[in-house]
Amino acid sequence: MTNTLHRQGDVESLKGDFVVFAHTAKGKNREGSATKIQEFMRVCLRHNPVNIGDAKQGNVHQDDIDIHKLISRQGDGAAAAAVFTDLGTLQKVVEDLIRADLGICINISGLLEEVRDCCKKAGLERHSVEHSLGFWGATEKLPEKHILEIHTMCGHGMVSFNLIRKMIEHVKLKRLSPKKAAKILAKCCECGAFNPARAEQLLDRFRKGLT
Amino acid sequence: MQIDKQKCVGCGNCHSVCTMGVIYLDQDGKSVVNQEECVECRTCYRVLRNEGHRPWFVRAVRRLLRAFRLAYMAEPDVCPTGALSPPDLEWPRSLRATFSDPSTVHEGTGVHGRGTDEIKSNDVTGRLREGDVGFVVELGRPGIGARFKDIQKVAMALAAVEVQFEAENPVTQLMTDPKTGKIREDVLEEKVLSAIIELKTKVERIPEVLGVLEKVQHQVDTVISVGVASRCAPDGSVPHEHWVREAGYRLSPNGKTNLGLGRPLFKEC
Repeated sequence: MTNTLHRQGDVESLKGDFVVFAHTAKGKNREGSATKIQEFMRVCLRHNPVNIGDAKQGNVHQDDIDIHKLISRQGDGAAAAAVFTDLGTLQKVVEDLIRADLGICINISGLLEEVRDCCKKAGLERHSVEHSLGFWGATEKLPEKHILEIHTMCGHGMVSFNLIRKMIEHVKLKRLSPKKAAKILAKCCECGAFNPARAEQLLDRFRKGLT
Repeated sequence: MQIDKQKCVGCGNCHSVCTMGVIYLDQDGKSVVNQEECVECRTCYRVLRNEGHRPWFVRAVRRLLRAFRLAYMAEPDVCPTGALSPPDLEWPRSLRATFSDPSTVHEGTGVHGRGTDEIKSNDVTGRLREGDVGFVVELGRPGIGARFKDIQKVAMALAAVEVQFEAENPVTQLMTDPKTGKIREDVLEEKVLSAIIELKTKVERIPEVLGVLEKVQHQVDTVISVGVASRCAPDGSVPHEHWVREAGYRLSPNGKTNLGLGRPLFKEC
């Protein structure tokens, strides 16, 4: 799930982008983890995430995905993720996960100081932290900043630069609403880490001619 | 990925969905995949819903519309005729799907996606302990793709300064010798969406490792996403922050936090 590490955007935009995910380690807490991951998903679902899913089965924005069936089919070691757009909700999710005491590893990707405060309020001190040091190498191959802001919300790279460009064009031409375009983008991200609410906001800026 | 030309109606939806931008319209008006550049991520197959229309029907509708100077445009997230099909892949091409399709589990690590655990389970594995720093050096990301020959260049440069490659990592498992960073010969030309070199060393060696990356980044024909991680001190402070700043690099305001809720919690001796 390094796929949530390099999300791009200014701090204001990142304030609406928090990914909570569960992970397990072979030989430690993976074996017999299925019911715990299922409970993790149920806890997240109670707080109305804008996206939720797992890498094997897909996310709620994909065709024919029933989230309750998805949860019931999760096996040991499923990589589950849910996306939230505000700190208040994140706080409640963290508190519920502490209460649930599942024993699986819980990580949050998002603004680090905000997540730290959230942990502190819940009585936790963070265990480990990972930062991005940005993009290196042949960066001249990369597209414009606004394309990257959307693309990096799926770090596995499933949301192509060209599809983002196409969705921007469709939104500008009023062929699609920002909401519908964001949902199409979210379909591509297999694990559910993509934030369609933030994508909608970014696309709406094109509709209004602000970007 | 393969496209059945008997079924394809050339709507072009797969062109834009393709993560590598390597599907194009052939001279016959049908779509074709550049197999050399395709990373077998299967995004086109997964995302584009098969509408199940008969190709002759779609072509007839299109001709009819053209007579009225109208254009046929499919919904952006469908394949009108179900022309896409993922082939059975043999080694070493199968490696492309393993690294590029996040729904695939890496056999060697049992992890989805790019197959790495890094700090996600550090609370139970103790992979990064007090005084350690971990680096995740991901070639090909964002959205460019990478060949293992480039991944090898970076791995060899890092191996030269005697870092410790993570054994439970799919790239390390492709190395013939983790002491040299050399990757097995038969996979070097294979292209993947991205692959992560994962290593650890002592936190005070951060400037040295970043210095190596600084040099080798100009020798590869792709982009590299670099991440740095460590176990927090008891007061929650992050040991690597000082060393990264000392080396003259900027840390992102966002990142990943392991909350430490995993059990049994790893305890340092």
